[in-house]
Amino acid sequence: MRRDPVKPFLAAWTVLVLLFLFAPLFVVALFSFNESSISRFPIRGFTLAWYQKLFANTALHEALWNSLIVAIATVAISTALGIGAAVGIHRYGGRYGGALRSFSLTPMMVPRLIIGIALLTFYNLFQTNLSLLTVIAGHVVMTLPYVILIASARLVGFDKSMEEAAWDLGAGTFTIFREVTLPFLKPAVVAAALMSFTLSFDEVVVTFFTTGNDNTLPMMIWSMLRFGITPEVNSIATLTIVASGAFALVAEMSLRRAQVGSTR
Amino acid sequence: MRPSVGTVLSFLAAPKLWLVVFFVLPMMTMVLYSFWRVADYQIVADFTLRNYEKIGGSLYVGVFLRTIRISIYVTVLSLLIGYPVAYFLARKVRRFKLTLLLLVILPLWTSYLVRTYAWMLILGTQGVINQSLMAVGLIEEPISWLLYSDFAVTIALVHIYMPYLILPLYAVLEKINPSILEAAWDLGGGRIRTFLSVILPLSLPGIATGCLFVFIPSMGAFVTPELLGGTRSIMIGSIIAQQFGVAYEYPFGSALALVLMGIIFATAAFSLRYGKPKGLA
Repeated sequence: MRRDPVKPFLAAWTVLVLLFLFAPLFVVALFSFNESSISRFPIRGFTLAWYQKLFANTALHEALWNSLIVAIATVAISTALGIGAAVGIHRYGGRYGGALRSFSLTPMMVPRLIIGIALLTFYNLFQTNLSLLTVIAGHVVMTLPYVILIASARLVGFDKSMEEAAWDLGAGTFTIFREVTLPFLKPAVVAAALMSFTLSFDEVVVTFFTTGNDNTLPMMIWSMLRFGITPEVNSIATLTIVASGAFALVAEMSLRRAQVGSTR
Repeated sequence: MRPSVGTVLSFLAAPKLWLVVFFVLPMMTMVLYSFWRVADYQIVADFTLRNYEKIGGSLYVGVFLRTIRISIYVTVLSLLIGYPVAYFLARKVRRFKLTLLLLVILPLWTSYLVRTYAWMLILGTQGVINQSLMAVGLIEEPISWLLYSDFAVTIALVHIYMPYLILPLYAVLEKINPSILEAAWDLGGGRIRTFLSVILPLSLPGIATGCLFVFIPSMGAFVTPELLGGTRSIMIGSIIAQQFGVAYEYPFGSALALVLMGIIFATAAFSLRYGKPKGLA
């Protein structure tokens, strides 16, 4: 092959774009240690005071607790339904498989704002009391397509003869699912669960329209931001960035190790 | 394998049922509401086209046009910035490929609210850019249009949604068979010609999907324009949200949302139809 004169330029461009993607996150982290209570650049001094103030804020504790409840319920429901849907479409979809998958993925093509207000009109029509339950229902709609997508991608590499062998050995459908299909899907389940957790934990728009009096963490950040920048926001934001980064890494590792395993 | 009807149903029906109850029915309710009206702070169920007539007024048409314009800027910028990255990842690197790919995916996992907020710290009058430029002596007064402007909204939306464009583009570019490229070389096509007449047409499906992944959420953006947009750069998302707040104009808000969905579906249908590779595929 010829020497490639374009490559260094593309490499430099990619580095610049990655800087553009990451620099703003570092700016937030930097400001969270700023001694001054005004978020003014350059930062002066180093302090952990904002983090201490954060941990002492009881309103925040409640919001965090609500966010965790919603995220854990969302993960449980959407992972169970999504994995089931992906396996179902893969096994029994037949010629309707494509249509069924497209249908399951449509919420991805609808802005969160619309998912939120559509649910609000629906709840309004049936006079439903808004609570964390109504929030969870919306978060499942939002995360389900991601679970189905991740599980379907993993199922592409699935050898159906493994299920058939188990069938011939006398295993029932659910035994096969538990003993053969699910272990194969485990890395996808881990990744999908982590992804749903993060999506739900960070969601503000769908929550905004479907919650009653209960605040979640992003809702608190949202209302704090509307009254201007406060140093505490920097520290909450930094903590969520670190947490989602860690989740992303674990999910990627889980999927990647599985890929290496299956090609051997 | 002969599964029982019950098994098939439990695998297929339960997830579908959730989507029908909490997604399809709500969307249908929204359609219904868009033809109703509010009287004395009560939603009244009688058929009217008034909500849609109201949207025809110049105020809302203007906001729709601004929203479309900003979303197009965001999409085109994301494509121009993201295409070389996707191309580099797909065809030019081997050793650090997975690491680089992970770096592109990583920001997608962080909250869009936090990423929007980051731009307040960067673009504000006290922010990184203005204070740095002033320290160097390039400007004496902070540049006021950096924050609370279309500029701020556009740059933040590019930052938030561009990775969604890189991923499908990467997937398509990676699948291009190297022997097609070698054939183009052997036939005497130069670098630029090979790119324009082989690679670019073959990557059209990736471009179409990627652009939709940026355009759709930009059209429905609410948090970002609300925090970074100026008083004169309102997008339709904020107007729709207002109708479901203190204004209590659910029917009018539903009608606005349906018009928005109409524009989104039309764009999606158009780009998926014309986003197919011609000739070579």
